[in-house]
Amino acid sequence: MRKLYSNKPVIFSLVLPGLLVFLFAVLAPICLSVYYGFTDYSGMGKAQLVGWDNYVKLFHDEAFGRALENSLLLAIGFICIQHPLAIIVAAVLDKLQGKAEGIFRCIYFIPNVISVAVIAYLWKFIYNPDFGLLNNLLKAFGFQGQVNWLSQQNAIWSVLIVLIWHGFGWGMLIYYTGIKNIDPVLYEAASIDGANWWTTFFRITLPLMKPVIQINVTMAIISALKQMETVYLLTNGGPNNSTQFAANYLYQQAFKAFKYGYGNAIGVVFIIICITVTVVLNSIFKDKQNA
Amino acid sequence: MKEKSKKAGKIVLWIVLIAVAVIQLFPLIWLVDFSLGSSNEMFTNGLLIIPEKIRWDNYVKAFVDGNFLHYLRNSVLINTLAVIFVAIISIMAAFACHRMKWKLSGLVSTVLVMGMMIPIHATLLPNYKIYSALHMTDTIWALLIPYVAFSLPQGFFLMTGFIQSIPKELEEAAVMDGCGIYRIVFQIITPLLKPSIATVAIMTFLNNWNEFMMASTYLSTPTWKTLPFSVLEFTGEYSSNYAVQFAVMALTAAPAVIVYVLLNKHITKGVAMGAVKG
Amino acid sequence: MKKKLMASLLAAVMSVSLLAGCGDSGKNTQPANNTPNNTAQADNAGSDAGSDAGNNEGEKITIRLFSNLPDRKNGQGLVEQMIIDEYMAANPNVVIEVEALDEEAYKTKFKAYAMNGMPDVVSIWGQPSFLDEVLDAGVLAELNEADYADYGFIAGSLEGFKKDGKLYGLPRNTDIQLIYYNQKMFADNGWSVPTTYDELMALCAEIKDAGIIPMAMDGGDGWPMACYLTNILVKVAGTDYANIVRNAIETGDFTAPELVQATQILVDSAQAGMFQTGYDSQDYGTTMNLFTNGQAAMYCMGSWDCSMALNEDIAPEIRDNIRAFTMPVVDGGKAGANDIAAWNGGGYAVSASSEVKEEAIKFLNYMYQPDKLSKYGWENGVGMSAQDQTAYLTGNETELQKQVMDILKNATSVSGTPINDCGSAAFKTAIESKIQGVSNGSTTIEDFLAAMGAACE
Repeated sequence: MRKLYSNKPVIFSLVLPGLLVFLFAVLAPICLSVYYGFTDYSGMGKAQLVGWDNYVKLFHDEAFGRALENSLLLAIGFICIQHPLAIIVAAVLDKLQGKAEGIFRCIYFIPNVISVAVIAYLWKFIYNPDFGLLNNLLKAFGFQGQVNWLSQQNAIWSVLIVLIWHGFGWGMLIYYTGIKNIDPVLYEAASIDGANWWTTFFRITLPLMKPVIQINVTMAIISALKQMETVYLLTNGGPNNSTQFAANYLYQQAFKAFKYGYGNAIGVVFIIICITVTVVLNSIFKDKQNA
Repeated sequence: MKEKSKKAGKIVLWIVLIAVAVIQLFPLIWLVDFSLGSSNEMFTNGLLIIPEKIRWDNYVKAFVDGNFLHYLRNSVLINTLAVIFVAIISIMAAFACHRMKWKLSGLVSTVLVMGMMIPIHATLLPNYKIYSALHMTDTIWALLIPYVAFSLPQGFFLMTGFIQSIPKELEEAAVMDGCGIYRIVFQIITPLLKPSIATVAIMTFLNNWNEFMMASTYLSTPTWKTLPFSVLEFTGEYSSNYAVQFAVMALTAAPAVIVYVLLNKHITKGVAMGAVKG
Repeated sequence: MKKKLMASLLAAVMSVSLLAGCGDSGKNTQPANNTPNNTAQADNAGSDAGSDAGNNEGEKITIRLFSNLPDRKNGQGLVEQMIIDEYMAANPNVVIEVEALDEEAYKTKFKAYAMNGMPDVVSIWGQPSFLDEVLDAGVLAELNEADYADYGFIAGSLEGFKKDGKLYGLPRNTDIQLIYYNQKMFADNGWSVPTTYDELMALCAEIKDAGIIPMAMDGGDGWPMACYLTNILVKVAGTDYANIVRNAIETGDFTAPELVQATQILVDSAQAGMFQTGYDSQDYGTTMNLFTNGQAAMYCMGSWDCSMALNEDIAPEIRDNIRAFTMPVVDGGKAGANDIAAWNGGGYAVSASSEVKEEAIKFLNYMYQPDKLSKYGWENGVGMSAQDQTAYLTGNETELQKQVMDILKNATSVSGTPINDCGSAAFKTAIESKIQGVSNGSTTIEDFLAAMGAACE
């Protein structure tokens, strides 16, 4: 048995496909990015090594700063708006029995299975100041005038709304599963003690959900950092970079401004930020759990 | 007294749930509603319209000119292949890393999971370069490889958890019977992992089915274009006809929504299992 | 239960694939012009070969065409497709595959292509922001200028497509910056075409009071607004326009009073509500639709959109009433009414690395035969080509075409390349983003101009 289980060629053959995929699709491109990040390559012709120039420039690049700020804003938005809503709705849904529960759960998740390409175009229409759904809705409530949802000031919030709407079902479902995993005996004990819904929610549900919340918070921050597709299609970072995100910005720089080298430098910094944030968050939560 | 407040509570509860459901669904109803009208009916103050004449031809246009079936086939094919690859590769790797004895198992396992932290869009630029140097742009591989690569860490992670929960005794018995490792992996372990494979499959599908950015960067001809990418192309082609644009959006969204609604119990279960573990 | 799920999933997948498979093969038998973005099949080419550049024998040749005209049923996209179909009919051994994306997506993808191997025939723009780096990299094939001596190209129109005296592309149109307006709406409300910018401002206030959008502006893309700024600058600086812009881009100093004044006018216009709410985030299609659906009284765009007058998707009472005027004169500006903003921008080129370069150039030349792009373009209401079109006047031109023709005929000077296209690609990216900020008031004019200078380095 032991011999069979430490047969090197067999082990090698089992992990090889996974490693190959990793090498070819993840590691190789990252190495290439690191290389091009040190060049002034325009995307065509010859590349010239320029040392740390791109990184120095990136450090002073307002648009990139704006992109990181936006990620932070988005993460805060997810954590302060989407997740509390999702937890509450999940807790409420848990009280419901029978068929209705399944139907609601199903409805909440539907936007999640629709392509971002459709979602972004759809919301472009919803936000249209002249004939969009939102302004027509305001009109129906007697509000006069046009709200410019995608203006410089509003656009980032409008993007946040779309993302919250799109991802709501996912967050809700995870919290719902977490709540379902809580031992019902605890609730019974609470109701015998005469605790009402809110007390139960704050005293039992929330504390027991801590690990799930931690996972979800980590995911929210990461997905805020990685945001690209919705913004690419909805605003393409505009107006005036007000909805810029790192991934969208590197794409723009490389393929629009002919700064492939610079784009790759952004990519490298972007990867470093993502890894750092993940590691830091994981260690924070781990410490807390151990304490 | 207590009864009354309980009843009131229940009503509030229903109102909240219905309100959220309306918010989640209404934009889609709006989409379908306007896709059945004509373009200039768009410019109304009402929330919904009753089209003067229901224009199914918008959908005919979307279906025929949008090459719907062709793109649907591509999407189905690419995603199915991605799921199969992810499942097989992750079972093999998870088994090797967590059942078999070797020095580097921990390192390899970490490396494979690391992929989860890499932002997928950061690899768009270098991957484009690599694929075009290898003449792989505009082939099925240009999508399949990154789709597999970026779903693999999650698949591997989930499989690891599931494999660890399988009792070792089963394998020991198999070894007694003279089974080799490959037979153990594919004939004994894999069948036991069916529910986990379903979870991995669902997560991989959800990750990749709607992927847009890589498709639009790596593909050019319609040969392998997937549904999400076709939306972009079509809205350009019909920029002056809103109703047809709406029809194509509704049509593109339909397959996933229909499959989801039909299989929603299983899918939610899969997602819940995957997400809580991941 | 689980088994059942997997089985039903698999069955569903299989049946969809099969279904799609059938549909797919069925689709291929449709005529090419119904599915323009698909590989057109050579077998539906007609038998009237022998006409034109007939080349019937020989092996199958596939030419890939990458186009910035996704709408294949109207305007220039239609014209392009007509010529392709004709060429394939005359050359049954040639298949032309079209990939078409709208302008922004096109330019992005083009640059991605430029890294490693491009399609054989591509849309290009004869402007520094687009062409400089492309030509430096040597990805376009050199053309023999002498071949085009009798193609009737307008004098000077080839200049933007040259580098060191060698020709790399051919211009498709002469683009004139226009302000389209809805004649009927103007008449119904007693509005008249403004002759000075102050009148235009006053008119816009009046239109706005009537509850109509004065001017639809595609500000989401950035370049149309930069063209608008160009147009104002031309009116301010007159024939000095080109020098001022070149000078600013070379030195990185954008403080010339003309630039300040022109930007100020743009900002004042935007702040006064000349454009629709949310103009700085709306795309081309949305903006044009505001005008073609009667929501906006005017629409600012280049002459290529003259084909609106023949677009079946636009209601007749609107499309028959579309007229155009050029930017009115600015108080104290050096330009007269007939100094216009116009240039030769879009065109075609052949990839240097094309495996079918000769065939591709042959097709390119076919497109530019005077009775193809120019003639069909004219007949389909597209603006002015870059070639002599006088031979194709039919007398059936739309009113809009006649107007545009007159504008060009009466022009006392022509501006050349718009400001955003005079610098590098990085400059273009910067100005097209920053111009949104300055027009919506979130960036000051000084900061805007300073940022322009910084982007020139």
